[in-house]
Amino acid sequence: MFSLKLNRFVSLCPIKNIKLFSVEAPQAAQVDPVSALPISKQEEVLRHPDYFNVHNLFTVQDLFEARVHYGHKEGSLDERMLPYIYGSRLGHLIFDLDKTATYLRLALNIVAHVAYRDGIILFFLRGAQNAHLVEQTAKECGEFAHTRFWRGGIFTNANKQFGAVTRLPDLCIFMNTLNNILTTHTAVRDAAKMTIITIGVVDTNCNPSLITYPVPGNDDSPASIELYCKLFKSAILRGKEKRREHLQQQ
Amino acid sequence: MFPLRIAINSRTVFSDIKTLWRRSPIAPVVLLSSDVKDEAWTSTKKPGGFADSFEKFQTLNESDEKPQTFASLLRHSAFIDLGDPTGKIVIGKIFHIIDDDLYIDFGWKFHCVCPRPKRNASQYVRGATVRLRINELELSSRFLGFEKDLTLLEADCTLLGLVQER
Repeated sequence: MFSLKLNRFVSLCPIKNIKLFSVEAPQAAQVDPVSALPISKQEEVLRHPDYFNVHNLFTVQDLFEARVHYGHKEGSLDERMLPYIYGSRLGHLIFDLDKTATYLRLALNIVAHVAYRDGIILFFLRGAQNAHLVEQTAKECGEFAHTRFWRGGIFTNANKQFGAVTRLPDLCIFMNTLNNILTTHTAVRDAAKMTIITIGVVDTNCNPSLITYPVPGNDDSPASIELYCKLFKSAILRGKEKRREHLQQQ
Repeated sequence: MFPLRIAINSRTVFSDIKTLWRRSPIAPVVLLSSDVKDEAWTSTKKPGGFADSFEKFQTLNESDEKPQTFASLLRHSAFIDLGDPTGKIVIGKIFHIIDDDLYIDFGWKFHCVCPRPKRNASQYVRGATVRLRINELELSSRFLGFEKDLTLLEADCTLLGLVQER
């Protein structure tokens, strides 16, 4: 009965003078609580095959000049690396840089997306020659690096080891996956256990199977490591810049 | 099959034409002399000296180089030119020194470490260019009990001396 009265009241008064009891919320852009970005923008970025244009960060010639195609000798080859190898020249293996370029572009795209969504990125490198360079790179792009001895349970037993609730990295980038010639870095296995995305530069003597986005290439020359550092840094900075831009537009 | 065109010069002899025709019956032979110019045949005049070089310098900085494929880059690289590395002479650059050990980079995956020679010892500084003879590109070998080779992550070279500045 009350509804009939309300209908009559509505028909008598002009619509624009009526104040309804329930007030609708203003049409604000919905924001994703995890990444703090507007959902429509976020979906547009995710749907694009290469939103951050990482494909033009390098060319095959740049990889060639940075000595990325040099592999070890055939005697230390890991069979799982065979699909990425072009051939062998008098016992020395050569990577197929066309394939490396594809894998590297995939990896850079992922890095840029993780940086865009405010993810924590952790760089790994074991080897005194290039350790400082990787630490500098991480510092310059505002992310993190671990180039020292890796204690057992850092990922798998984090809360106990650090004494408080810990946020684990969202992405691990391995500049080389081997500790020394004989053993793979423990964090490769541990990141897989904790479902953390891994990107790793895998040489001919490495095992690429546990790495989410392997990048087949040379991990021993300082020239190659410098190139990788430069590329990953650019991808991270691009992702972060877009994020700042989209947050300001909001 | 486009029509055979022979522009005949007044000095052309009938027997010449016959021999030409016998030599290549299918492919047309074109004889063009500067006196007899067919307007429809040639459209542009060759530019004179200054005009030609002006055109060349207009487009000097534009390079239409196609990006090289990996296969061609590798085929023409210094590494393939090297062939069998044992015994080859290369130029290297010293990038690090610890006491009497010189760490030399010669453009390969690994560097090599050589002891400082007695001659001109003080001239071997960081950045110096040296000549090396390669013994092995990678010191790796299969040891008993291991499935894979063990590598030292180093090349083995003999230091021949400083590069002579001419």
